[in-house]
Formats: sequence, structure tokens, C-alpha cells
Amino acid sequence: MKRLVSLLVAGALVLTACGSGSGDAEGPLVIYSGRSEELVQPLFDEFTEETGIEVQVRYAGSTELAATLLAEGDTTDADVFYAQDPASLGSVKDLMAELDDSTLDLVDERFRDVDGKWVGTSGRVRVFIHDADTTKALPQTIDDVVDNPDWVGDLGVAPTNGSFLAFVAAMVLERGEDATLDWLERLAAAQPTYFEGNSPIVAAVDAGEIGSGLVNHYYLLRLLDEGAGNGAENWFIPAGDVGTLVMPAGAGVLSASGRPDAAAQFVEFLLSDSAQDYFVNETNEFSLTGAATDPNLPSLDDINAPNIDLSRLADTLDIATRLVSEAGLV
Amino acid sequence: MTVAAPPAREGARQQRALSRGWWTAAILVLIPVAIPPISLLWQVLSRGSGVMLPADRLFELFLNTLLLTAAVTITALAIGTATAWITTRTTIRFRRGWMILAALPLVIPSYVAALTIIGATGPGGMFARVLGVQIPTPYGFVGAWLALAIFLAPMAHLIVTPGLQLIDPATEEAAVGLGSSRLKAFFTVTVPQLRPALVSAGLMVGLYTLSDFGAVSLLRFDTFTRAIFTLYQGQIDRRPAGTLSAILMAFAIVILIAERRTRGRAQYHKTRPQKERQQTDLSKGQRRLATGFLATIVTLSLVIPVGVLTYWLTRGLSAGQTILSIWPEIGRSLTVALVAATFAAAISIPVAMVTARQSSRLSGWAESAVWGTYALPNITVGVAVVGFALAWARPLYQTVYLLIAAYVVMFLAQSMSSTQDSIRRFNPYLEEASRGLGHGQISTLFRVTIPLIAPGLLAGAALVFIGVIKELPATLLLRPNEFETLAVRIWSATGEGFLTRASLSGIALIAVSIVPLFLVMTRELSD
Repeated sequence: MKRLVSLLVAGALVLTACGSGSGDAEGPLVIYSGRSEELVQPLFDEFTEETGIEVQVRYAGSTELAATLLAEGDTTDADVFYAQDPASLGSVKDLMAELDDSTLDLVDERFRDVDGKWVGTSGRVRVFIHDADTTKALPQTIDDVVDNPDWVGDLGVAPTNGSFLAFVAAMVLERGEDATLDWLERLAAAQPTYFEGNSPIVAAVDAGEIGSGLVNHYYLLRLLDEGAGNGAENWFIPAGDVGTLVMPAGAGVLSASGRPDAAAQFVEFLLSDSAQDYFVNETNEFSLTGAATDPNLPSLDDINAPNIDLSRLADTLDIATRLVSEAGLV
Repeated sequence: MTVAAPPAREGARQQRALSRGWWTAAILVLIPVAIPPISLLWQVLSRGSGVMLPADRLFELFLNTLLLTAAVTITALAIGTATAWITTRTTIRFRRGWMILAALPLVIPSYVAALTIIGATGPGGMFARVLGVQIPTPYGFVGAWLALAIFLAPMAHLIVTPGLQLIDPATEEAAVGLGSSRLKAFFTVTVPQLRPALVSAGLMVGLYTLSDFGAVSLLRFDTFTRAIFTLYQGQIDRRPAGTLSAILMAFAIVILIAERRTRGRAQYHKTRPQKERQQTDLSKGQRRLATGFLATIVTLSLVIPVGVLTYWLTRGLSAGQTILSIWPEIGRSLTVALVAATFAAAISIPVAMVTARQSSRLSGWAESAVWGTYALPNITVGVAVVGFALAWARPLYQTVYLLIAAYVVMFLAQSMSSTQDSIRRFNPYLEEASRGLGHGQISTLFRVTIPLIAPGLLAGAALVFIGVIKELPATLLLRPNEFETLAVRIWSATGEGFLTRASLSGIALIAVSIVPLFLVMTRELSD
């Protein structure tokens, strides 16, 4: 028992040491990041180095952080919300302050909120990934993917994954609810293999386990960095439909922030040339300001991206979740 | 303090006072335990259920959950009992070594286990690339069942082993001597005596299966937990996930009630010192068979997962991947797990006392509350605690104290169950004797009760430690900003396909969990 007590005391001391120094207005800039530490921590370090502003980051899923922000409301400690997708950003729009026009104007209108509450900072593109040695005809439209008998039973999807749901939510904006449900039902009829996330689909295509899949473009580039991935190739569907949706990650400033200037400075930093360069070279994404390009990827202007108002994505995300379930994909 | 030996009536009064003391302490402990379920129910009732799944899907989830829970519980108990019996009762070589190896896979989180199963199998898996043998990835029921059964069998092994050590092998030998077969003797003589251990192992494994998300989501078997997890992850509206969790909790409570209805009243107090136990002599063929069985189980549950992690680590490093320092994460994981385990062990004493010594309606409710919270998916506990803290305890929100408190209530069932087992095994007259000899209640607690139940406390603390160090979904919600643990690191690395870094954290997590497990095993299980 004595050992128990001394353990407890020691533990409490260590915890007090770990837990101190958070919360007050003059403390570090608090960032809720829906983007993974593995991807963006070096960027945050660079921001601190450049500006002298200390940051404290909370990493979790974008949706989870959006729900957390909604629960916290005005009492939140967060100054900046940096999320993976426009739906998470849009759902907490009421808690965010308007950004400066000078910041907003750095990116194309398609990649920012209509009311100026958040701005896209880097882009990922939906692709049709396929076996590098395939002899089958590659889809020209997103409808080809589900209608071409060649790919029946040879397609991987991740219906519960955030990026697939965002893609479906965008389709609802593009085509309406009924047409989207119809597409999802045709997808279900094409007997896809279901996965839990993008990485496993890419790994399965690379391994020759399945012939194709619907994913974001950068997972293949990641796998190449890990020492695999030569068995697969990305295909940007040329039709200009939702099949090549450009999904921006983005950031906004919370109106409850005690340090709005530093927060705005951070958002601006994400759009600086060095940050854009980082996205292109380190996270294999597309720059949204045009500051950098990857020679191995088509340029963002060459990708025939659909024209969809992403500020409304938050409104259709729940519809998308329901439709995916109605079509029997989960 | 009573000086003279109390007369009989005085003794009865003291007994009542003692029980009042325990009850007060137990209720103080049970209040925080009840917060997650109450907060969950309150959120569901006050904010509505949200858009619910269609009834046929709910029914399917229910059937799948039922099927998986039953299959996993039976299989894990069978494997765990077999490994425990072979390593306590027979004369195989390296018996003690096997005993520890069979318990070790408990430290592997289910999401890591599932990930390594996927990484080992399939056309691009480790087997295909390294050995040239292709095994199809077992998705769906088979995958989830095998993964959970194999990785929960060590839990059963760990609980059944001390139970087996307390049974006199002479009873089984007598049955064999009277002409019964070895197998029949085991089922008719040993199993009934093992019943309390089997029941607590069964509850622990079964309710864990209900609440675990890793295996069912990665191996894609559609259960309540997977649906709940998907809803929390994919939807900003948290109500539907909360409602599903409430249904799941009701399901767990039904299981508990059924268990209590069928529970035997038998009590096994150890009344005399353990005799020198003799090991069952196995023939050469039987020894080979037993060793082969142990080797298979250890290969599946330990060698393959660690092998896959090592394969990823070396593959990535040779492709030029860099790894980040994880020392701070190791420190944080160890600290929270150690503190939570110590607290859980300490506060399990009053709850275990009132539930193991009495069988009243109230003690039944107390036990159900603890198991009910254990059966909730951790992500649900996390959301419920966030809701509670934002409304009632804002200063505690996103502090390490709240995180630890949540761990304690989440895993209290494991330490309670282990403490109950050791309380049931010692005779309460020992405490009365101590008081009769002039010791007060506190003095008796520290001099008699705690030393007697110390093995149970320690075993329970080890289980909680391992549970906490593996815990992910609630940690993500409740931790302070920048408080990254090993589990969080694994999550953030695997989500983006950084397998090299994930493997390093995975190997570190397994390595640090081995220490407490090893301590407990060598202390408790050495005869």
C-alpha cells in the first residue's frame, strides 16, 4: 500500500508538470488541426520560427474537431480551425470570424467560403486509381466507373471514409439527391470491394488484389515514399465532373479567439510561398495560390475540375451519409 | 476501538458498521462511474435521437453483434483455458516461458492487430512478398472473430491461470484413477471448480468484444460498435451515434442480468495452505501436441504481428523514411497508464468488497453500473465525458486529470473483477479474527485485507495499465492539447499511410506494456 501511495504522489507530480501552462490569453496560439501531425507539424514549427508565435496544436479527425467546437461554443480555447475538408469548416461557420479580403483573394473563388469565413490552403484531387498494367478502357466520366462492365467486381471504395462522403456530398450539390442515389445504387450493383480507408485501397491496387479504386490522388505518392506503389497509377477522369473533385483543406479563425491577429497571421502563413511549396513537395498536394507545382502531376488548371460551391458542402454531408446507407453501401 | 473480544451481538453490530463504511466508500466511487452512462442517456433524451438507421439495418447490427460476441467469448475462453491448463498443469518444457508468452499478446491493441493481419495477408502482404505464400485476407465475420478471439485469449489465460493454481489437482487425478478419461475428468471435475474464473473471464472478453472498434472496423464486420464509430467519425451530428450507444449499453445490461440469474452460489474459500502440486505427466506424443498448440497460438498472436511491424519498419527505413523521436510519447503513455492503474486498483477495493461479500439487489446494481460503463465503446464514454465536463466541470475539460478519471471509470470493471476474485478466495473470518484481537477497521484493512488481496489488486492494475496504454478513441477526445500518447501517434501515422513511423510507435507500445505484465506474471503465477 505504501508503494501504491508513493506511486500516486509521484504520478501526480509528473502530471502537474505535464499539464501546466495552457489556457490563458497570452499563452500560445491554439490550433485545432484535423490534418495529421505527420503531415503538418513541420509547417507549424516553421511558423513559430518565422513569427516567434508559439503554437499549441490539438490533432484529431476534422469531423470530430468540428463536433468538439460546436459543443464548446464560445468557451473554446481554439484560435484557429485547420481542417481536412470544407464540410467540417462549413459546419462551424457560425463560430468563425470573417477573414481579410487580402487573404481570401490569394485563392480562386472555388476554394473559399462565399462569406469569407474560411479559405482553402491546399488541394487534393479525387482520382480513379488503377492497376498500372491494365488493358481495360479507363473511365471518361464518373458514370463510366459504375456502368462499364469491365470494372464490375474490380473496383475498391471506402464508403464510410470522410473523403468518399465528401465526394458524395459534392455530387448531391452537382446532380441533386435522386440522381446521386441512382449513381450510388449503380455503384452497389457493380459489386465493389469495400475498404475502410484510402490507403488500403491503394495498397490493394498496388498489390494487384483489385484492379481499380476511387481515392484521393496523394495516397499513391505516399506509398511510393514508403518503398512500394509501382503497381498502380492515378487516372484523372477527364469529363470535368465530380470524379475529379478538387477538395481543399482549409482554415478559419474562431470569433472567440483572444488573439485574432496572430490567428489571422497563421492563416496567411498557410498561403505563403514557403507553405505552398511545403504542401507540394512534402504532402504531395496541389498549391491553391499557384506558387508551386509538382513536375510529376498535371497542373491544377489542366485538371478539369467541376464547378461546385464547396461552401454548401456542410449542408449536404448528412444527406450523403444517409444516401450511402440507403444505397446499401454500408 | 474495542479492546476486549466482542461478544456475539457486538460482533454483528460491528459487521453492519463495517458494511456501512464499505458502502459509503463504494457509492462515492460509483458516482463517477455512473457519469458516462447518465450523461449519455441525458443527451439522448434531451436532444432527441437524430436521424436513426432503418429498423432492418438495426436488426442486422444486433444479430451480427450477438453472433460475434458469442463466438469470440467461447473461442477465447477455450484457447485461454487450454493455454492456462497446459502451462500450469503439465510437464512440457519451458512451461514458465510459455505461460508468459501466451499472455503477452494482450498488449497488442486490436487496431494494430487488425492492421497487421491485413498487412500480412493478401497478394501484397508480408507473406506474399517475403515467403511467396499468399493467404487471402479474412475480411468480415471470420476475420473479426479470429482476430478478437486470438487477441483476447490471453485475457482469459491470465484470469484462468490463477484459478487453476488454486484447484487441487488431486481431485482430477482421483477421477482419472477411478477410470474417467483425462478429458472427461477435466470437464466434470476441474471446470465446475473453475467456474468463477471462467465467468469473470467470459464477462471481460464478451463485454470487451461489444465495445471494441479496431478489429470490426478494419476487418469490416458490421456490428454496433463499427456503426457507432463510423457515425462519430463521419457525422458532425452526434445524436444518432449516442442513441446507438444507448441501445448497445442496454444490450450489455441484458447480458449482465442473464449472467447473474445463472450464476452459481458456490463459494470457494481456500481453507488450508496449498500442498505441493504435482504436474500431470504427458506422454511424448501428448507433449509434442501441447507444445505444437502453444507454438501455433504464439505465432498467430505474437510472432506475426510483431513480424509485420518489423517488416514495415525496415522496409520504410531502407526506402529513406525518417522517424521522429517518440520518447515524450512513451513518457506520457507510461505516466497516465500507471496513475490510472493505481487509482483503479485502490478504488476497486470498496466496490469489490460490497459486491463480492453481499448479494443484494443494490450490490447487483453497483456491479452492473461498473460493467455497463466498461461495455460502452470508449468513444462513447469520451463523448459523454466531454458533454459532462463542458456543462458541469469546465475547469477540468481537456486536462490530464479528467483523462485519467475517464480511464479509471472505463476500465474499473477489470480491476474490480480481479479484486473480487481474490476477496472471494479468502475467508472473512480472518478479518474478524484481526478485529477480535483488538485491531480497528482501518488497521485490519491495511494489515489483513490488503495483503491478502494484493495479488488480485496487482493483476487488476496490470489489466487496467494495458487497457489504458492501448486506448485510443477517448484519448483523442479528452487529452489536453499537444498531449500525444503512443496510441495517438500510431493513429495519426496510420491514417496518412506513414507505416514506418506507425510501426516504431507500435513496437514501443508493445515493449513498454511487457514490463508490467511480466512483473505480474512472475509474481503471481510463479508457484
